Amino acid sequence: MSKKAACLLLIILPLALLGGCWSRHEMNELAIVLGAGVDRTPDNNIRITLQLARPSAFAGGTEAGGGAAPKQNITWVISETGSTVYEAERNLALKVSRHIYWGHDVILVIGEEMAREGVRKISNFFMRYPRTRETIWVLVSKGKAEKLLESHSELEKTSAQSVGFLVRNRAGLSVMLKDFQMALASRGTNPAAPRVELQKLGGPQGPGMEEKLQHEEVAITGTGVFKEDRLVGWLDTSETRGLLWLRGEVRKGGIIIPSPGQPDKLLSLSIVRGKTRVEPEYDGETVRFNVSISFEVDLLEQQSTEDLTTPEKIKAVEMAAAEDVFRRCSDALEKAQGEYGTDIFNFGEAFHRKHKKEWKELKYRWNEEFAKAEVNIAVEAQLRRSGLLTRRASLHLE
Amino acid sequence: MRKFVKPARAASAAEGKSAGHQGESEKESAGLLKENHSLSPDLQTNLTQVKEILEGCSDIIYRQFLFAQREDIRVALIYTDGLVDEKQLSDQIMRTLALDAPVAVAGAEITKARAYHLIKERCLCVHQVKETGRLEEVIEAVLSGDAALLVDGHPCAILNGVRGWESRKITEPETEMMVRGPRESFVETLRTNTALIRRKIKNPELKIESMKLGRVTKTDIAVVYIKGIADDKLVEEVKKRLLRIDIDGVLESGYIEELIEDNPRSLFPQVNHTERPERLAARLMEGRVAILVDGTPFVLTVPCSFFEYLHASEDYYERYPIATASRLIRFLAMFLSLMAPSFYVAIVTFHQEMLPTALLLSLASQRETVPFPVFVEALAMEVSFEILREAGLRLPRQVGQAVSIVGALIIGEAAVRAGLVAPATVIVVALTGISSFIFFYSASIATRLLRFPLMILSATMGLFGLIMGVMGIVVHLCTLRSFGMPYLSPVIPMSSGDLKDLIVRAPWWAMDARPRLIGWKKLQRQEPGQKPAPPETGPGGKGGGGSAGRG
Repeated sequence: MSKKAACLLLIILPLALLGGCWSRHEMNELAIVLGAGVDRTPDNNIRITLQLARPSAFAGGTEAGGGAAPKQNITWVISETGSTVYEAERNLALKVSRHIYWGHDVILVIGEEMAREGVRKISNFFMRYPRTRETIWVLVSKGKAEKLLESHSELEKTSAQSVGFLVRNRAGLSVMLKDFQMALASRGTNPAAPRVELQKLGGPQGPGMEEKLQHEEVAITGTGVFKEDRLVGWLDTSETRGLLWLRGEVRKGGIIIPSPGQPDKLLSLSIVRGKTRVEPEYDGETVRFNVSISFEVDLLEQQSTEDLTTPEKIKAVEMAAAEDVFRRCSDALEKAQGEYGTDIFNFGEAFHRKHKKEWKELKYRWNEEFAKAEVNIAVEAQLRRSGLLTRRASLHLE
Repeated sequence: MRKFVKPARAASAAEGKSAGHQGESEKESAGLLKENHSLSPDLQTNLTQVKEILEGCSDIIYRQFLFAQREDIRVALIYTDGLVDEKQLSDQIMRTLALDAPVAVAGAEITKARAYHLIKERCLCVHQVKETGRLEEVIEAVLSGDAALLVDGHPCAILNGVRGWESRKITEPETEMMVRGPRESFVETLRTNTALIRRKIKNPELKIESMKLGRVTKTDIAVVYIKGIADDKLVEEVKKRLLRIDIDGVLESGYIEELIEDNPRSLFPQVNHTERPERLAARLMEGRVAILVDGTPFVLTVPCSFFEYLHASEDYYERYPIATASRLIRFLAMFLSLMAPSFYVAIVTFHQEMLPTALLLSLASQRETVPFPVFVEALAMEVSFEILREAGLRLPRQVGQAVSIVGALIIGEAAVRAGLVAPATVIVVALTGISSFIFFYSASIATRLLRFPLMILSATMGLFGLIMGVMGIVVHLCTLRSFGMPYLSPVIPMSSGDLKDLIVRAPWWAMDARPRLIGWKKLQRQEPGQKPAPPETGPGGKGGGGSAGRG
């Protein structure tokens, strides 16, 4: 080999050795964060709670052994206080023997007190910090976030994963950190996040476990409504549906209505697809929004025995479904406009898109304008498939 | 670096060309015979000379006897014991010459002066005879298995082709296995091998050109090609490169391979080989040139492209959809065998966020007890796999069972149970190991060796390092050529017509053209439009015109 090649090799070889390794972490040097919570301490400090995975408890494969093995603690929940989130995290690093690894964090739970004081104080950290993802789900807990993270799940391995899956199913509102932060940065809308709380749910039952065990699991019970960065109140699950309709985020779900001919019996409709259009109007004084919602449903369940395939009955079912959606929307709107005075429906953004010049004046007092705004909601439902199990055979004889 | 070598090589090649036959004769004279000897008319002188040269060769037999029982006409047979067919020699040469000669010559007068002529024309019942007046040719023929017949009073020898020695039967190929296809493979005897090729291609255009290589071994070499399909320049180049070889022994075709490669420093083989006659025939018909070496069943073929190593001849015998599917598997296996461990190391030590959470937790729990970094772990496993593989290759057949049990138990079971190795690592290494056997052995050597530098790169720089390494390999592959043909052809440079036989194996009725870069001289392989179709049973009664049973 020539001298030149040898020299080149001598230069390149150390380069390869020096270049790397700085972000190298063996797996058993990692403390994997699955869920994080932020609370406010009485002395106005920040208390973060981390749910860390305990890999040794995640015995996979055959080594778990058969039968009912004693339930090991699969997670380790640890809290620390600091004046900023980062300080609290660094204080935690003094207690945790491994590198705190945020890459797999699923949820960020904001405690009620913290949320009422203002989330801008803490959300900034999670956006800036390169190791956390912007796709983590943001939740507001009723009560302390710490309590929530300490719970465990029967079905999933950890409560954090369980909540993550719950939110991802999009039955209720689902907000990622980046969306939350965008709502926070925008003047045209205010953040909202699903409310989670601990609820007593049925425990595991099986042979030899006669007594009804109950334990607390995390459940989604509505939506936390923010004004600017402060939590101002809640929407219940029904109003949350209204919120989703107005935001145009409904992807699936059901509508329960009374059967048109037999009002004591009920019908279940499942939503196939829905569409929401928001059209702002402004005449210099009043802001008006024309919201048109249209959706399609399938008949899924029928308690009554009447024939629903006639055009009149179909019309009636569609009317009832539309009415139900309309009621939920106006409930949510009423609360947001009247009680909380905050636009959580992205209406301001829609206004901004349409009336750019006027927006410049209105944006600084948007929430007040929104509270005064006139909102017309038009709902149109379509029953696509009423199914073939509509009538009993005996009906022909009657 | 290569730049400096190339002109020097070209110069030596030119020299070889101009020297031509002169160079060959020089080589011979540089061998055992020092002078240019002619045979003398006197039998005894000749015998003494031969005996002098072959002194100490106890396997040479000198048999003197009388032609047609005439005291005045002495003849002598010289042959090598074990290399001749003894039955043929005694029945058809000695018996006819000594006893049946009077009948054979049928009245012609037997005189000493006419003896040589009579023997040659009337008495020898041997299918192949050759005359020579040169001593060194006699010696060479005797050592190759011919029987040399010297007649007193004549300065000439008759070389009788009565070769016949113990050789291996034609058996099933051991290295290129397949389910469907011929069950014969080449053997160690050159003549048998050329016969096997001739049996596949019964065509006057199939040319078999012989030469001898090796100062000491004088091994027979044959260059085989189909005239009219193979590029003449390519044939010339092959012969030129072979003539340049001046080595004392050629014991396997690997010797030749190393001496005619385009880039001798590359890890990737640039000369392909096979031990299946029908596979060789297929390559010849694509326009490639084969180099047969006496003494080995492995026949070299040039030029070769990297993708050949991922093809199997069974691809062409089985129906094309399954052939395409198995080629895909082979491509996947090639990538796995090259990169699986390094990818694993990179992901696990640098890019944990790329794993799904559940997988991360499962891996983390497996690695909890492992005392080493994953790189060390994977490296140790890879090395122990290589040890097992090498042991499996070298060990006597009787102890094979023991080694595989010990290997499987120790590496698979005990190491995992002891918590020294994570099960995931075992899975990755096992997958890698098996993948490397799925494609051609010579090419898998390259990926097997390159796996280790790639592992180091990904252990230091993560996926970044791995990709850099892979890019380096690809760049290297792009620079390679095999007898002038780009190694990555038909992908680089792109030859779209040849893509039908790369990953996809197109059905035979769609492969009307030979590979463009090698078979351009006679591009069309068959008549186009042979796609079988059900017979037309229209009203005109033209049924059977486009019948499926065309072939």
